[in-house]
Amino acid sequence: MFLLLPFDSLVVNLLGISITVLFTLLLVFIIVPAIFGVSFGIRKVYMKTLLKIFQWATLRIERGAKEKNHPLYKPYVNGIIAKEPTSLEEEIKELRRSGKALDTPEFELSDIFYFCRKGIETIMDDEVTKRFSAEELESWNLLSRTNYNFQYISLRLTVLWGLGVLIRYCFLLPLRIALAFTGISLLVTGTTVVGYLPNGRCKDFLSKHVHLMCYRICVRALTAIITYHDRENRPRNGGICVANHTSPIDVIILASDGYYAMVGQIHGGLMGVIQRAMVKACPHVWFERSEVKDRHLVARRLTEHVQDKSKLPILIFPEGTCINNTSVMMFKKGSFEIGATVYPVAIKYDPQFGDAFWNSSKYGMVTYLLRMMTSWAIVCSVWYLPPMTRQPEEDAVQFANRVKSAIARQGGLVDLLWDGGLKREKVKDAFKEEQQKLYSKMIVGSHEDRSRS
Amino acid sequence: MGSAHSVPAEMRELADRTGFTSEQIEHLHRRFKQLSQDQLTIRKENFDSIPDLEFNPIRGKIVHAFFDKRNLRQESDGLAEEINFEDFLTIMSYFRPIEMNMDEEQLDRFRKEKLKFLFHMYDSDHDGKITLQEYRNVVEELLSGNPHLEKESARSIADGAMMEAASICVGQMGPDQVYEGITFEDFLKMWQGIDIETKMHVRFLNVDTIAHCY
Repeated sequence: MFLLLPFDSLVVNLLGISITVLFTLLLVFIIVPAIFGVSFGIRKVYMKTLLKIFQWATLRIERGAKEKNHPLYKPYVNGIIAKEPTSLEEEIKELRRSGKALDTPEFELSDIFYFCRKGIETIMDDEVTKRFSAEELESWNLLSRTNYNFQYISLRLTVLWGLGVLIRYCFLLPLRIALAFTGISLLVTGTTVVGYLPNGRCKDFLSKHVHLMCYRICVRALTAIITYHDRENRPRNGGICVANHTSPIDVIILASDGYYAMVGQIHGGLMGVIQRAMVKACPHVWFERSEVKDRHLVARRLTEHVQDKSKLPILIFPEGTCINNTSVMMFKKGSFEIGATVYPVAIKYDPQFGDAFWNSSKYGMVTYLLRMMTSWAIVCSVWYLPPMTRQPEEDAVQFANRVKSAIARQGGLVDLLWDGGLKREKVKDAFKEEQQKLYSKMIVGSHEDRSRS
Repeated sequence: MGSAHSVPAEMRELADRTGFTSEQIEHLHRRFKQLSQDQLTIRKENFDSIPDLEFNPIRGKIVHAFFDKRNLRQESDGLAEEINFEDFLTIMSYFRPIEMNMDEEQLDRFRKEKLKFLFHMYDSDHDGKITLQEYRNVVEELLSGNPHLEKESARSIADGAMMEAASICVGQMGPDQVYEGITFEDFLKMWQGIDIETKMHVRFLNVDTIAHCY
């Protein structure tokens, strides 16, 4: 116990020095550039180094697995069962031909096979639910949360993984939390201070820049490496910016490169404090919980905001929920009915560095943020698409689908017709009829032919 | 997945009984957990979470088949309230593809089991016979998607098919004979020559281990 005493002051000194150094580094390399919008390019170098390490790790795993004859992972396969590519008609014809000598098309016991098998196939594996679990990876990115089998492959790899854990949790995490804290407090205090100024050009200018600065700090807090494409198409005042939704971070990513007015529901707690402070500096559209259900009220407020050209463009995520970034689901038509110019934006995350998808039924917000902050980095690309307006002959739903296809095509995401709300609700009845109609047309049509002949 | 590694002995036993490989059982187990939302048993309501299944006209019968005690190889009759993973696998095993190394007897047994599964799907009142009414029910369900179809047309289609079935099973009937219903033996007769083993199965893709993201 006495041996510890001389170490005591040494440890305290060391701790003190390292914290000071850390904060100076933080200030110089991260916060100041964020305020002025310049970048040293440190993150890009970091990303390249990480990629090299991941490649090495993957090669090592493959070699190790071959040596030990372990079952090796295979690249992500689209589903676990082989779905027959034949259509309803072909299958039923085949079923019948293989049996009876008669060729008369009418109902037979064997017809039930097709539907039975299809039913069992969907029970085993279906399209929509797959979209909602995190996209699966081909190579390992040294996060054990993406693969359980790999820890035991080789000693060197395990050491590397352990080192990775140490770096992520003991170095990166405190750094990021400190940055996030700084960013959020600056946002709240900055916007409150700006809110005291009289309305005018000065206030607008300052509020825009306070917002921007804080979003930039938050971007660095997550070590998000973002590549923006086609920045000349960025949204302008009086428009609506529409993007696909993978995580709550989408807001930060977009807002750090442009000036937006946010739309959303007022929350309690820290979120609520931030929201209330933000709205003091410039007009955002926040709804009370009760107002959210009233579609006319929502539409009216959005229309008012959009018509005032001095107000910033609104940022909306029409999917309504977080999708796992391999596809784009049905857009809710509300934002497309307003009649303003729509600026579509496609966001695609690179899953190699960290999975940004928020499965809200699995993780709460805080758990999710912790996972984000302990990943290596968040790498994504943002494409600004040219503005679209609703044509006179199309209705809101068709317009929404047109925008959705454009976003899906640009981001390389699959354009699914499914409703994102399916994650929580049931299928609408209209969709059920298709298959049944087709089959009954086949049977009845032929039955009528027979009775006529 | 933790659970897969912790029950290897049970899994081997399941594999032997149902005929799936251990990888296939792992996949199905994951699917089971997804459907049951991490509970140990599934109820009928859990099948509502599969959107693609809504397309299917005989959805009700398929879900029903999972809870049908005759399919679960239980001694009693009627419907189970909920099923566990073992029962789930038992039902799925009816759709196993045939293997190359099966001999005649195994093939025959296999075929009979698949046909029995279908028979139970038709025979909803569990009396061992498919009556005219039950047949009509199935046809109506299959054709229910078409709003323009009148009930009468569906009925006449079913009646016509039933008469054909009767002629195959019983041959010529006298004017006073009433055809009670298709028994399982008659059912088997109707399927003679039809190669159902290759039609009534679901093939697994050949993946050994999939890297999963948790």
